[in-house]
Amino acid sequence: MMEPLARYRRALLIIVVLVLVSPVFGVILAEMVGYHEPLDVAAELVGLPDKSEELNWTPFFDYTVPGLPDTVGYIVAGFIGIAAILALGAVLQRVAARR
Amino acid sequence: MHIPDGFLDPYMSAATYAAFLGYTAYSLRRIGGALDPSRASLVTVLAAGIFAAQMLNWPIPGGTSLHFVGGGLAGILLGPYLGFLAMFMVLLVQTLVFHDGGITALGANMLNMGIVAVLAGHYVYRGLRTRLGDFAAAFLGGWLSITLAGLAAGLEIGFSPSFGYYIDVTVPVMTMWHAVLGVIEGLATALIVVRVKAVLPEVMED
Repeated sequence: MMEPLARYRRALLIIVVLVLVSPVFGVILAEMVGYHEPLDVAAELVGLPDKSEELNWTPFFDYTVPGLPDTVGYIVAGFIGIAAILALGAVLQRVAARR
Repeated sequence: MHIPDGFLDPYMSAATYAAFLGYTAYSLRRIGGALDPSRASLVTVLAAGIFAAQMLNWPIPGGTSLHFVGGGLAGILLGPYLGFLAMFMVLLVQTLVFHDGGITALGANMLNMGIVAVLAGHYVYRGLRTRLGDFAAAFLGGWLSITLAGLAAGLEIGFSPSFGYYIDVTVPVMTMWHAVLGVIEGLATALIVVRVKAVLPEVMED
């Protein structure tokens, strides 16, 4: 896994930088402008109920981490997500190597 | 863009899951021996990059905002099947770890961002790159991918016997906003495709 990924070292560095700056856009500016997506607009117009919170199963709901401020939690959540994707990638590597 | 739990009628949830699972089976068959360790690494890195890029919202003061989706980019760089696989990795982690997108809507979200957006990006780019060049073709591929994904989401949430049929509201709202904000997706897609082609030409899907 490590050797093939090393080829993309620069891309991985960019990904780390994206995660580090992500709270500026995903938390701070989003709160300042009252971030809402077209899906939120459509749902409000027709009264669709968001049941995410009442059906929730994860402590990292909406990229938060319990006990951490939203900005820091957003970064930690970003790295948790990247780690989970790399773990899936490791499984993919094993499957590919067997072929 | 991520449909949460509660927005979809159970019938629509089941239908979109069926479409998603059917395309998954078809993709796995088509990927076949094309998945060597080198391609697996590329899929993983692109999935990680799209996940990170989706965390950067585009805050537009006083208006409706959006974030990068990346389905079109995945389709252009990896093709319709490995691109789907990359988006599946992103959406699975977003749904299960962060509940960003509902578990009842994973089929719909995959249909929109992992199938419709990926196919749109792939075929628009392939069809136009010779005539328009890489930048314009990738721009149109990225723009159309998010616009069509928005249209698909509008159809899914609007075609709902449980809540009433609101396609006349949801489809125009979703399509119009995604077509406008999709210009940013198109620009980001074009810039990344041109850059990747310059520094890593071997990763581009044939």
